[in-house]
Amino acid sequence: MRRGMFAVVAVLALWLVLIWGEAATPAADPILSGPLVKLDIKDAEVAAVRGKPKGTLTVGMHVALDPGWLDPLEHIPAITQQHYDYLVHDALIKPMPQGELTYSLAEHAEVAADFTKAAFRLRPGLKFHDGHPLTTADVKWTYENYKGVHAKTFHDKLERIEIVDDRTIIFHFKGPFIDFLDLYNGITTGIGWILPKHYYEQVGRDGFKSRPIGAGPFKFVSQEPGVQMVFEAWEEYWRRPPATKTIMVRGIRDLAARMAGLQTGELDLTYGMTGKLLSRVMADTKLRWNRNFTSPWWLVFPGYNEPDSPFHDKRVRQAVSLAINRQFLARQETQGIGIPWGNWISTEIRDALRGDGKDLPVPEYDPEKAKQLLAQAGFSNGLDFEWYVPFPPYFDMGERILTDLRAVGIRSKMQTLEGPVFRAQVAQGRRGYPGNRTVVQNIDPRPGGAKANIGVYAVCGSPSSFVCEPRVEELWAKHQASLDLAERERLVKEIQRILIEEYYFVPIYVNPFVHAVGPKILPEGDGVQHYWDTLHAPYPWPWEVWEVKG
Amino acid sequence: MGMFLLTRAFYSVITLWLLVSIVFGLVRLTGDPVKMKAEAGADEAYMQQLRRDWGLDQPVYRQYTSFLGNLVRGDFGHSFTKSLAVRTIYFDRLPNSLKLGLAAFAISMLLGVPLGMLSALKPNTWLDSFGKMFALLGLSMPGFFIGLVLVIIFGVELGWLPVLGKGQSAFVWREPFTWVAFWFQDWQYLAMPAFALGWYFSGAMLRITRSSMLEVIGSDYIKLMRLKGIPEWVVMAKHALKNSLIPILTLAGLNLLVMINVAVVVEVVFNWPGVGQLLYDALVNRDFPMVQGVVLMSGLLIVVLNFVIDVLYAYTDPRIRLSR
Repeated sequence: MRRGMFAVVAVLALWLVLIWGEAATPAADPILSGPLVKLDIKDAEVAAVRGKPKGTLTVGMHVALDPGWLDPLEHIPAITQQHYDYLVHDALIKPMPQGELTYSLAEHAEVAADFTKAAFRLRPGLKFHDGHPLTTADVKWTYENYKGVHAKTFHDKLERIEIVDDRTIIFHFKGPFIDFLDLYNGITTGIGWILPKHYYEQVGRDGFKSRPIGAGPFKFVSQEPGVQMVFEAWEEYWRRPPATKTIMVRGIRDLAARMAGLQTGELDLTYGMTGKLLSRVMADTKLRWNRNFTSPWWLVFPGYNEPDSPFHDKRVRQAVSLAINRQFLARQETQGIGIPWGNWISTEIRDALRGDGKDLPVPEYDPEKAKQLLAQAGFSNGLDFEWYVPFPPYFDMGERILTDLRAVGIRSKMQTLEGPVFRAQVAQGRRGYPGNRTVVQNIDPRPGGAKANIGVYAVCGSPSSFVCEPRVEELWAKHQASLDLAERERLVKEIQRILIEEYYFVPIYVNPFVHAVGPKILPEGDGVQHYWDTLHAPYPWPWEVWEVKG
Repeated sequence: MGMFLLTRAFYSVITLWLLVSIVFGLVRLTGDPVKMKAEAGADEAYMQQLRRDWGLDQPVYRQYTSFLGNLVRGDFGHSFTKSLAVRTIYFDRLPNSLKLGLAAFAISMLLGVPLGMLSALKPNTWLDSFGKMFALLGLSMPGFFIGLVLVIIFGVELGWLPVLGKGQSAFVWREPFTWVAFWFQDWQYLAMPAFALGWYFSGAMLRITRSSMLEVIGSDYIKLMRLKGIPEWVVMAKHALKNSLIPILTLAGLNLLVMINVAVVVEVVFNWPGVGQLLYDALVNRDFPMVQGVVLMSGLLIVVLNFVIDVLYAYTDPRIRLSR
């Protein structure tokens, strides 16, 4: 009897020690020694009550679906892939409605003050859809095997990965890696979305794309490549069980087809409801919509810095800006939703100057002044340039801008390109456009802070650069060398001011990429707007909060 | 007949080889697919990695020999944009295209041939005028317009028919019990796209049937049969129709191929997951393996169908059979 009692007490004591041991690693316990960067990472919202998922949400995407999007190891640069990352996978930290950096699989993160180390502690009890535990070995494997966009940067900068225990991991870099969190946070690359090492190695690359598993709120069910994908709620998701039982995503390129699908109830959520059918969306009392501001449209002049280019003269570039009636354009193209804007970088992006008069003025519309500037620049009879290249398929908008330009004597023809061809040309920057008499209309809701936009489009060394200016280069070099975050912000803002004041970029208006939802989406009325609360999200994630009528 | 079949088969292989070789060369003139995938800011290392993964870092002759070698083993390569084997994706889509194509083909034949015959039998009557009007409308209204009108009327306004996709019916190659069910399920999804696609071709069938029948009806041997007092329906059904079938068969075969392989516009309007849309996407994105695979399979389908039509010719007209 005594021996029995002793055994029970011993087991209880052991159990208490184990429980205490688990809890003895409080989230905020330091991992790294020495000074740290002060990080602003928001806490995750974990649901207190676990409800039951119900109903089906059918999403009409505006492009054909690619099974490759289910594999973050081969992440493409386009933000479309995050749509699926947020469904099937989960990241250590990621943008959420709570903030641009929000804890997800990690509950604690640290970055050394010299930016040579970053450490994470995972939440306890994490697992993948197949029940296999998610540990730091998976985090390490994902990093080491990542080969998508920016893979070289990650691999070149890495010295080693130290696994402290199943929940604690430290990345050691060869030198300061200041952009690490911006690139690792799940919105710019795929390396932060943690994959199951055991499963990926078992099924291989193609097997994973055909039937992925992850640690996200939805389990993959089936797909018809390019046509549709079906996902089902994973009730054991650590944050909360998804509110919707099934999410079906369908690739529907044709706007009229998406509109019809929404009206007949075959679709519940559709993207890209802009252009000619926007007024019908707005007029339909059964539908609700979100403006979903993405980024400003902007014009750029490839080869402007060559002396024989008509756009070499700042006055000509300014005349282009003055010729555009932004208010009218926004009314015609977006039913007045678009906001005329004085910066080319998105309003939501960190360190971006506001273009509504607060930091930078809203560009004026003054055709007379535009004509005077052209005359002063030696073009009193106006000028002809070779091509105006609008972003596909916004060809109507391109025609309207050309009409405005013609009104002040700037004449050209429109070159219409297919989406992939246009993007391929933009990716080559100035090299993508022969001659120096072309104007390109572009838009790029690029996350990663204003520095990301500058680094891609406005510095000499970038493969996609349109601007190469000594003043900008000088400031950019200082920015890249600085470890002082405040100084970096100041420099980025200074560069933006130069780019706008010299008219290297001509911003137009902030574009609404309207999303529409049908009557099945809960809550009723305007309550649906909260689905679009996540910063830098062109799509309404996280998906676990979406609720539909059962 | 055996020699005839052998010769046709040999020509078919040569045709297919020429076709894939020409397509192999032509798609490579349209641009670099890596650049199509790489958006602004993509680093060179990423693009090099893609180039290696897709085998585009090899010289073109090596790409060609490896392409032909794989083809012999039945491997069409991996799609650049859909990340899976071309064969898997193509055979996933083919049953959908066959379903739509065959339904549209049936509509075109059931409407076009009888109406064409009636028009020919009763020339310059109201029936003939109706036939001509029907053909004119079908031939002159673009498929996307007919499709959109149908969507608005029967989908959005009346709510009778679904407007998107093919429903949940699936043809699974590994599950034979789906092979039959697939053709009969979700007909409500098929009705509008099949009609939008079939109307155009029924117009064409009507016209060719009418002109072919008129030509035969005016011939001496038909007049002789009538003089002999053979019942009119026997003259028409047994002699006139059979002798006017050659051009009808030719056009029907070609129409069926077009309906199966390149019904892009109707597929886009109704979001029908067919081969036409697959090819269009592949062309736009410079997805070389997908373009090559789809063109090869479409070519194979054309060759097979032409072969069948040739055999039918030989059956219908003994002169063709005997001349070879």
